[in-house]
Amino acid sequence: MTFGYKFAGAAALAVTMTTGAAQADVLFWSTQAKPVEEAQAMREQVLGNFQDKVDYQPNDGGPWLTRLQAELQAGTGTIGVLGALHGDFSAMNADDLVDLSDIGVMSASDTFNELAKLGTDSAQYIPWMQASYIMAANKKALEHLPEGADIDALTYEQLIAWAANVHEATGEAKFGFPAGPKGLKHRFFQGYLYPSYTDGVVRTFASDAAVTAWEDFKKLWAHTNPASTNFSFLQEQLLNEDVWIAFDHTSRLAQAFNERPDDFVAFPAPAGPTGRGFMPVIAGVGIPKTAPDMDAAKALVAHMLKPETQLATLRATNFFPVVDVELPGDLPPAVQAAGGAVAKMSGSADANPGLLPAGLGAKGGEFNRVFVDTFERIVLANQDIRTVLDDQKGALEAIMNETGAPCWAPDAPSEGACPVE
Amino acid sequence: MNAETRSSGRFLYTASVVLLCAWVIVPLYLLLINTLSSPETVNSFPKPFWPEFDLGSLSFFAGFEGMLTALKNSILVAAMTMVMSIAIGAPAGYALSRFDFPGKGLFRLLILLTRAFPLPLLALPLAVMFIRTGLDDTVFGLALVHTTLAIPFSVLITFSLFSGIPIELEEAAWTLGCTRLTAFTKVVLPLILPGITASAIFAFVISWNEVFAAAVLTIENRTLTAFLLQNLDTSPLHLKFAGGFILVVPALIFIFAVRKYLFAMWGIANR
Repeated sequence: MTFGYKFAGAAALAVTMTTGAAQADVLFWSTQAKPVEEAQAMREQVLGNFQDKVDYQPNDGGPWLTRLQAELQAGTGTIGVLGALHGDFSAMNADDLVDLSDIGVMSASDTFNELAKLGTDSAQYIPWMQASYIMAANKKALEHLPEGADIDALTYEQLIAWAANVHEATGEAKFGFPAGPKGLKHRFFQGYLYPSYTDGVVRTFASDAAVTAWEDFKKLWAHTNPASTNFSFLQEQLLNEDVWIAFDHTSRLAQAFNERPDDFVAFPAPAGPTGRGFMPVIAGVGIPKTAPDMDAAKALVAHMLKPETQLATLRATNFFPVVDVELPGDLPPAVQAAGGAVAKMSGSADANPGLLPAGLGAKGGEFNRVFVDTFERIVLANQDIRTVLDDQKGALEAIMNETGAPCWAPDAPSEGACPVE
Repeated sequence: MNAETRSSGRFLYTASVVLLCAWVIVPLYLLLINTLSSPETVNSFPKPFWPEFDLGSLSFFAGFEGMLTALKNSILVAAMTMVMSIAIGAPAGYALSRFDFPGKGLFRLLILLTRAFPLPLLALPLAVMFIRTGLDDTVFGLALVHTTLAIPFSVLITFSLFSGIPIELEEAAWTLGCTRLTAFTKVVLPLILPGITASAIFAFVISWNEVFAAAVLTIENRTLTAFLLQNLDTSPLHLKFAGGFILVVPALIFIFAVRKYLFAMWGIANR
């Protein structure tokens, strides 16, 4: 009785809510700029001056993909524009994305534009913003730098010695590494450690040089804060000083520089025997074929590539522009610090830039898994390096053969699937 | 000897009570302190015992677009889930405890099975169906999903409660002029009110905490959890605390409001 009334009331309410759900805003469905402050800045500073009202909704990867797949399967949708990392797009079916070749904007980098074709002949998404991984240190650590070391041109050997000096002086292991559940450790192995030691990622996975690389990484791990397996955003540990020297994504270090700009320095990743390996991060904007208002969606994609929008995005997210634009002098401390470190890294004489894994499609996650498993077995479980590499080699080979992905830099180009040598 | 045993027993009792209270209160208190602290204090250690009443983190959320709508949606969904899960679950619990019917054992098992499949697995087909039927992006549609999640609890709780009430009470009421219906409303219902409250709390909490379905099935009408929780894990520490505080407080207020019905279940007098 009372329940009956309440139920009827609830149902009636639900019906009114349903009818009120009609919408005209462009829905921007994104996996980027998720932290609340960044989302707020995206809504107000980046999308506020677009012609239409934009509903910016940042999501975790799971719901992002599930919702998108549901709309594609149902054949009708509400999502107007997708914002995601290159890896998210490459896991999608290229047919589900609208061809954006005729939109009239693209990034200044040919490499990025080529990646955005996802193996087809036309642009499946448009590069939107870029970032990279760098090192950051508390200024208190600088006095412990090994003799003769230049912080802007460190080698892995010097980094290990530096971390050891700090360890000895403070009694605590103060190197920080993002090995937590949400940490981006696999990118360090794929884009930094392997290119720096083996001049490759896939071909050289189980080479003798790779054994040396893991041996050195284990030396570094001895001076790494053991709680690193819980660290995913090193800015937190830099701020609370659990960590003095850290490696992480530029936007995951930003808060440290913005809150206490005078206490921290940013510097390039170290160099190994085969150069200074580093890797860019690319996010892109795309349009699903189910977008309700195609013209508005295309206009929004074009809006995101305008120089002034790119600068506003830089301020909002700490991701750098992909178009040619003059950087103003009044940028937040984190942007200045990261920008400087990235410029030194890419401009260094021994620079050895790597590319994001390409052509792996939906297997990107498994590809990362190979590197994470290798790390866990060698470093955390202390298993024999040669044995583990020979084991994991099989898993890597299977992924490469199944996807048929050709080699990407710094691996030498291949005919067909990239071989694991 | 006897007095000694009694006093050590009392000590043990008091210690357990204090420990259990601390178990619940200390994390909440730390949450409160960190919510009301400046970002510098949040990142420092040790923490102050008294909050410094820095409202910076909270006022950020005051200006965060869409918070109030999301809060309203969360309350609506939770309320509908509560009403629907009890409206469906309580009769099922009554039937299970009062009647013998073929397949009763299987039915009890099947009810539990609704919790056996993880939502990320169900969300895709569910979302496709919702989009096709027009239930997509509605508070009512999401409440339906949450009701499915809450029903096993409401059925099992009400089942055990009905089983605890002797059928003789109902039979006595029938002999005194009650119909089956009035016997239920006048005799049984007051007795099981605490159980209904308990299932209501379960339903509320399940709906309030659910993120995945909410994030996939709603766009414009997002619940607070879907709106905020996904974005908090990557946010700076002081905003994590403030956001967590905002998510916890409405649930605490609700549980506080219905606590007297719950206490009645444990034999403590209504106050």
